[in-house]
Amino acid sequence: MHNCHSIDPLVTPFVDGQLTGADAQAVEEHLRLCAPCHSRVTAERAVHDLMRAQHSGLCQAQAPDALHLRCASFAARNSQPATNVAEPRTVNPEPRIPNPQSQVPSTWPVRFAPYALAASLVGVVGGAFLYQATDKSARVLAAELIADHTKCFAMNSALGTHQPAAAVEQTMASGFDWRMHLPENASTAGLELVGARPCLYGEGRVAHIMYRHDGHPVSLFMLPHTERAQALVEVLGHEAAIWCANKRTFVLVAREPRRDVERMAAFVQAALH
Amino acid sequence: MPADKGLRLVSPAFEAEALASLDSLYRAALRLTRSSADAEDLVQETYLKAFRAADRFEPGTNLRAWLFTILHNTARNRARDRARDAVAIDSDFVDRAADAPPPAGRAAGAGETPETLLLRETLAPDLQAAIDELPDAFRQAVWLRDVEEFSYAEIASMLSIPVGTVMSRISRGRRLLFDKLKAMRPVNA
Repeated sequence: MHNCHSIDPLVTPFVDGQLTGADAQAVEEHLRLCAPCHSRVTAERAVHDLMRAQHSGLCQAQAPDALHLRCASFAARNSQPATNVAEPRTVNPEPRIPNPQSQVPSTWPVRFAPYALAASLVGVVGGAFLYQATDKSARVLAAELIADHTKCFAMNSALGTHQPAAAVEQTMASGFDWRMHLPENASTAGLELVGARPCLYGEGRVAHIMYRHDGHPVSLFMLPHTERAQALVEVLGHEAAIWCANKRTFVLVAREPRRDVERMAAFVQAALH
Repeated sequence: MPADKGLRLVSPAFEAEALASLDSLYRAALRLTRSSADAEDLVQETYLKAFRAADRFEPGTNLRAWLFTILHNTARNRARDRARDAVAIDSDFVDRAADAPPPAGRAAGAGETPETLLLRETLAPDLQAAIDELPDAFRQAVWLRDVEEFSYAEIASMLSIPVGTVMSRISRGRRLLFDKLKAMRPVNA
């Protein structure tokens, strides 16, 4: 017969249901004869079962939206060009990360710049979100685009890109068959053109035109071949104005007061007609 | 040395899979730090390191376990930085606590055992509070096993301890939890 000492290392896998054959039989036989071990296993099993029963309750806490955005922005800083997606990564059998740096960098390392520029030209993949405009609510759409808004401006801050209106219009025409003219008097609405990015998502591409309003980032997204209801929603501390024209959906995103976002959206909506 | 050594290129698939674990990492960080601000900080640092070290992740292995390993390494390094060896302190404490007789529980009603009462009456908030009262070493082991459902080997890798110690900590952690929950039961249970 097994004694308590020899049974001890088998108890946890026994409670977890991972013991089979002779080992499981040995534990069961011992428990029939040993009251202290029986009591111990009963208590451990009760907690094991309780944790399973309350699993969903224990998993209710969710990370704040702002934390999701910040962590996603770290990936954006290290994104690889989309054309390289299928290439295998370097393999390292050791998963441990020894002595990693602990500080969040305030600027993007200059050596990443060429890769980021390449990534921005072929399209930056939106990350954790799959984009299905027709199936998602305005708030979800806005949240996805706000994540892209944050990423693209983080990149732009590092690269210092500034494109003239003609270059942006050329990008829209060649990339989206969208022959448009940017408003010439954007400065009257307090808007300063920064540049444009064709952004890739899981289900398609969106045009991303970046402005600054009083120095703060403002994004205008254009979703081709998509029609959505007009809306003004607040998500993740940002305001997003959504409207539709000529089978295109436009979303203006900014972390500005609602009245300013409404005013900018009205200006852009009128100017692009 | 390759010209691009030091670059950490993150593929969209890697990014998406990694970010999908953010909530469970945050919950584990909450259990580790017991502070939402510290948990956010810990998760943020974890992702920063993960994306920087993406080329060291072996495709086909468990990305979620890899992220939890980084999380626990980071937490351990922070504890060391604060000149506190939490695990050693906890182990001593738990060795004593686990060997001590359980607190006197209240008598179970007719036909019910303490175990069935525990299952019937304990709600998630009480369970959460009792888990948070466990010493660090046992709280980590029980959480990783019973909530995150990692294998003993994965937990051993995350916590840098032998598999036998993992099982021992899970076992002792469950017993401590049982005693705490039993002591929390109302008088007329």
